[in-house]
Amino acid sequence: MIAGNIYGVVLNDRPQLAQMADGFAIPPYRTPPQAPVLYIKTRNCLAPGGGDVPLDADLAHVEIAPTLGLLFGCAATKVSRANAPACVAGACLALDISEPEASYYRPTVRQRCRDRFLPFGNLHAFDSGILKASIGTSINGVDLHAWSPERLARDAATLIADISSFMTLAAGDLLLIGLPHDAPRAGPGDRVQISCAGLSPLAVHFHRAGAA
Amino acid sequence: MKRARIAHKGAAVWALLVDNDSALRLGDGETISVAEAHWLPPITPGASIFALGLNYADHVKELGFKAKEPPLIFLKGANTLVGHQGATVRPDDANQMHPECELVAIIGKPARHVPAGKALDHVSGYTIACDYAIREYLENYYRPNLRVKNRDGATPLGPWIVDAADIPDPQNLRLRTLVNGQEVQDGSTRDMVLDVAGLIAYLSQTMTLSPGDMILTGTPQGVHFCAAGDEVICEIEGIGQLTNRLIAEPKA
Repeated sequence: MIAGNIYGVVLNDRPQLAQMADGFAIPPYRTPPQAPVLYIKTRNCLAPGGGDVPLDADLAHVEIAPTLGLLFGCAATKVSRANAPACVAGACLALDISEPEASYYRPTVRQRCRDRFLPFGNLHAFDSGILKASIGTSINGVDLHAWSPERLARDAATLIADISSFMTLAAGDLLLIGLPHDAPRAGPGDRVQISCAGLSPLAVHFHRAGAA
Repeated sequence: MKRARIAHKGAAVWALLVDNDSALRLGDGETISVAEAHWLPPITPGASIFALGLNYADHVKELGFKAKEPPLIFLKGANTLVGHQGATVRPDDANQMHPECELVAIIGKPARHVPAGKALDHVSGYTIACDYAIREYLENYYRPNLRVKNRDGATPLGPWIVDAADIPDPQNLRLRTLVNGQEVQDGSTRDMVLDVAGLIAYLSQTMTLSPGDMILTGTPQGVHFCAAGDEVICEIEGIGQLTNRLIAEPKA
């Protein structure tokens, strides 16, 4: 089970990096990112099995980024790319929900860490085949988005190796391996379903906080 | 009352400080001397760990920033914590590694939409953190980035939690950092930009805080670069002294 820290990574989507290349050279960034750009989701975000997600009145809509969560079975500290996959025990679909934010300069705790802003599906034994699968998203029954972890600038093994060079990914930690820059948006009333071959699908229903 | 978490007979246990903080009384009544204690960071497993950047007016000025609106909040994983009298690795290339003494508020009751006027009712106690930073590793993406602030064992925490009832005014406490006995930070929690109550109100506007969650409330001015072998003591009035030693990177 997810018993530890929940980490995610942004700016790991190759088309996004290409689009932002010029922007990385100017303030506030000045130089392209070197280390993986990580964030943390807090425990109040966890919504096992999906279900209802309340949106506070200040949110007209949210960004919904479908991704894979990798669950660590043993500690990864300074592991090589070759040894990284052996640290991953499980995997699940996850929907990383956030208030839309264009800037990557400051941490996005307020945007990303609202209650139930990380619905995730059943955990399965890790099979590297899912890293090539397509992750599809439908909203209210209409297929709106698909992407594959093959788009990642740092693939899962490289990501784990690079992160573990400066911090431990421990047994029980969950790593969200990247977000599509073109993630769709959803608002109150929307029903979202994400699916990926080899993993249990995940269904989420957004509603206005306070409303039934 | 002060509560510490220690390793004892192979288990992590909570203990009360007794006899003028010279001894620890365990749940079963056994008492041990503090000299024998193996201190663990006083954290509830699973707790969220919030931290503040640029939350003291003097430190903001020292670093050449303008006070941030909204507050600069970041998060830490539990891998970062190390207890009193622990050791923290100073990487060989970290010539700009500096300690940051911080008051830590621990949430005692769930908090959601709590106004500042009632926020301190949701605090169970206070402890001390030394939130080391390594300026060479700063990048302008989600700054301060995890390579700076989420390193294993680079956030000493403790030595214990003092009950909130024993800290009637958390906004009037002197904080100091001593490196090998030399004072390198000397500030007061009265200089916080957003105080403990304000931080709880702000966070609870958008999320639920749970018992055990911690807020590291930022550090005053005094940037002092440390070397391996340095003894670093962070001290907060009414709480105590948190001791840490910097060690060189172990060789593979």
